[in-house]
Amino acid sequence: MKYLDHLEEWLIASLMAMATFLIFLAVVHRYASGLPIPWVQDELIKINSSWAQELCIYMFVWMAKFGAAYGVRVGIHVGVDVLINKLSTPWRNKFIIFGLLAGAIFTGVIGTLGARFVWGIAHTDAVSADLEIPMWIVYLAVPLGSYLMSFRFLQVTWQFVKNGELPKHDHAHVDGVEDAADLEHIGAKA
Amino acid sequence: MNALIIFVLLFALMLTGMPISISLGLTVLTFLFTMTHVPIESVALKLFTGIENFEIMAIPFFLLAGTFLTHGGVAKRMIKFATTMVGHWHGGIGLAGVIGCALFASVCGSSVATVAAIGSVVLPEMVKQGFPRKFGAGVIATSGALGILMLPSVIKVIYAVSTNTSIGALFIAGLIPGIILTAMLCLTTWNIARKNNYPRLPKASWRERWDAFRDCAWGLFLVVIVIGGIFSGIFTATEAAAMSAVYAFLVSIFVYKDMTMKGVPKVLLDSAAMSAMLLYIITNATLFSFLMTSENVPQALTEIILHMGLGTVGFLLVVNVLLLVAGNVMEPSSIILIMAPILIPVAAKLGINPIHFGIMMIVNMEVGMCHPPVGLNLYVASSITKMGITELTKAVMPWLLTMLVFLVVITYLPQITLWLPNLFYK
Amino acid sequence: QAPIVIKFSHVVAQDTPKGQGAQRFKELAEKATNGRVKVEVYPNSQLYKDKEELEALQMGAVQMLAPSLSKFGPLGIREFEVFDLPYIFPSNAVLTRVTEGPIGKELFKKLEPKGITGLAYWDNGFKVMSANKPLKTTADFKGLKMRIQSSKVLDAQMRTLGANPQVLPFSEVYQALQSGVVDGGENTPSNIYTQKMYEVQKYLTTSGHGYIGYAVVVNKKFWDGLPADIRTALEAAMRDATKYANAVAQQDNEKALEAIRKSGKTTIYKLSDAEKADWRKALLPVQKQMEGRIGKDLIAAVNKEAAMQGYK
Ligand code: NA
Ligand code: NA
Repeated sequence: MKYLDHLEEWLIASLMAMATFLIFLAVVHRYASGLPIPWVQDELIKINSSWAQELCIYMFVWMAKFGAAYGVRVGIHVGVDVLINKLSTPWRNKFIIFGLLAGAIFTGVIGTLGARFVWGIAHTDAVSADLEIPMWIVYLAVPLGSYLMSFRFLQVTWQFVKNGELPKHDHAHVDGVEDAADLEHIGAKA
Repeated sequence: MNALIIFVLLFALMLTGMPISISLGLTVLTFLFTMTHVPIESVALKLFTGIENFEIMAIPFFLLAGTFLTHGGVAKRMIKFATTMVGHWHGGIGLAGVIGCALFASVCGSSVATVAAIGSVVLPEMVKQGFPRKFGAGVIATSGALGILMLPSVIKVIYAVSTNTSIGALFIAGLIPGIILTAMLCLTTWNIARKNNYPRLPKASWRERWDAFRDCAWGLFLVVIVIGGIFSGIFTATEAAAMSAVYAFLVSIFVYKDMTMKGVPKVLLDSAAMSAMLLYIITNATLFSFLMTSENVPQALTEIILHMGLGTVGFLLVVNVLLLVAGNVMEPSSIILIMAPILIPVAAKLGINPIHFGIMMIVNMEVGMCHPPVGLNLYVASSITKMGITELTKAVMPWLLTMLVFLVVITYLPQITLWLPNLFYK
Repeated sequence: QAPIVIKFSHVVAQDTPKGQGAQRFKELAEKATNGRVKVEVYPNSQLYKDKEELEALQMGAVQMLAPSLSKFGPLGIREFEVFDLPYIFPSNAVLTRVTEGPIGKELFKKLEPKGITGLAYWDNGFKVMSANKPLKTTADFKGLKMRIQSSKVLDAQMRTLGANPQVLPFSEVYQALQSGVVDGGENTPSNIYTQKMYEVQKYLTTSGHGYIGYAVVVNKKFWDGLPADIRTALEAAMRDATKYANAVAQQDNEKALEAIRKSGKTTIYKLSDAEKADWRKALLPVQKQMEGRIGKDLIAAVNKEAAMQGYK
């Protein structure tokens, strides 16, 4: 389980980093190849970077699908909990379990639909426009991400039933700003 | 009739507290399984293609940049600069907080990040100087809302993509309204501080001001990079987001050195998780608006609203009330994603400029973020000040009223919004 | 009895040639079948976007589409990239002989195994080149950043000219041209006019080097399952709608060029026949380069049609 957790985190963090760096390089490349420097310009134009956007999109879609699963584990998905927070604890718990199971069912159904879809595409010659990679590989993010998400919902439900605890992402909390001593130092100088 | 079932089901599911994205998706699935002939496989397709769009990629980029900026010490340098400039006036550091928020908002695309970054620097300082906590909390919770109005903003990207408007135009359209709102919030702050005779700081020398400016210039330079880069043709608005992420990384690690390479994976993971959450809502909202289109709901609603003969003034009033109500239960991106595709066709028929309409929606969302029950800014301020939500609600009132006045101004004076983009784009 | 519903989805505005063609087909088809068929037109990517519509058609979520011809390459039918080749159609007459002759039919046959039936070819028109500097000879392209639609053929075409091809999403093109992210691009006059690109381009050359067109396609299973009399009626409606759409396309391009000229914002340079021949010669190597992808025989067949019209 720990390996799965690490793999998930490692995957989304590196996709994020790589996509950003890729677009950075593509912009630098386009800018540099527009400069009329003899020889250098010719060589730069020869480098084809038109696939960068497509790759960036695919990396981010994969990041989003697996990140959504990670988000279930850390409780980042926002919901309207105003009403149920007013209920008595037993009733509130029932709604929470209902919500979690609904999440598991939805993502499970989507995973299956996605798998059927990928299976269908795998029997065609469809490729992506720029990179020309088979589309079924690209679309694989939907079933894989959704099934993982469904699994995470079940995992969270199980933990909630067992010890009554939900993973709660504190949207208000921002780390990197808790070093209060440092802040006071700045304030005192001002 | 179908439209009614769709909406009732959606709201019923939402109120059970499940994630908004899941309730959107489940509504669509239920409907497709039971009531239409649309092949169910198209759902799987839409779940991928819903975000297969380069413009949407600006969202993860801006969130990444924002996380680097909050971790990297940009906020506190901006506050320090603002304090040297206005600290000696009534409300001193409170004013610096508003201006700090405005400066930070012009490089950061999120309100929550703005409240967190500026609030955690300013609020402890204000308490130490003898300001009441509720004063500080009121200032920061509301000024943080500038985060989605000034220049780059994640919500603007979402609006632009769901309504096909220019991201670049939306960015700069927020600049003048942002400056006006900053001035109005400053005025309210100054007035309250003067009446209660809150402490003032000693006046800083020009030398101190210059030093503080030079120290925060690296952060402020990001504005030049984003806006200058877009308008000089070095990159597009989407690419600008990626460039600002890389720049924020470089400044945090190598210039300010407030964070080390060790902290980078955590920043990446945090911003990836936040992006994934937003992108998941976007995907499911795309699915939802696809369902509505294939059931001809927006078309029918447009007819109904036009038949009511509200005219532009009445329509804008109704829209604002509707959005303020929605702001009670939902966060901004979901509201925009669900409402914009329905409202925009009507607005277009009435001749309302989509850029103006977008900025109006965003100002409205800002108000929603500052009041309970769902108001992210309030929660952030609460966690920094350790104040209760009820107490905070009272605390933000003067500034919230200021924002409502501002909303009316923005709604009925489109020139404020459109003057700058028209200058660039015509 | 409930009418048979045809959902006709497309990705452009209603007042474009394709949008008007779709509307005309709806009117003709509903009239010809006495209301037994109902055509619902969904413009502006309301239902499906560019990247998903062909998959939606294959799974039967929509019945009719008119995607750009360049969309069939990624589906696995690279032969359709022949339409992107520079100067493959030296005149409108050659184009018509190809789309309405055996070559067009042969291409449509390749769609059948994918569950798609091709009904007609609709024009958008011949492309012109635009930039912020005059483009009189092919040497003028050297080092220019030219916006193209994602396509291996168009990429090769721009590289052969010495330009630097850039793929940009359609929604970013206006701003990218204005700010100088790209220096120029290629499009049909009507697209340049409706997208206001002429406002941000100083020069335009009527090169006619390439072609933009659409294929009206239907879901094969749906089409084969229609009663024979209805299918015949719809085919006739499609023939008339095609004539109409192509006439609108030609008119729109002429009107657009005139309006751009009148606006005074763009200087239009008309290539003489001799200059056009030079451009064509400079771009011929692209045909050779792309033989491996598109098929030597197909390119030769199209060139034979051109030769019969007097183009060598
Ligand atoms: Na901002
Ligand atoms: Na609220």
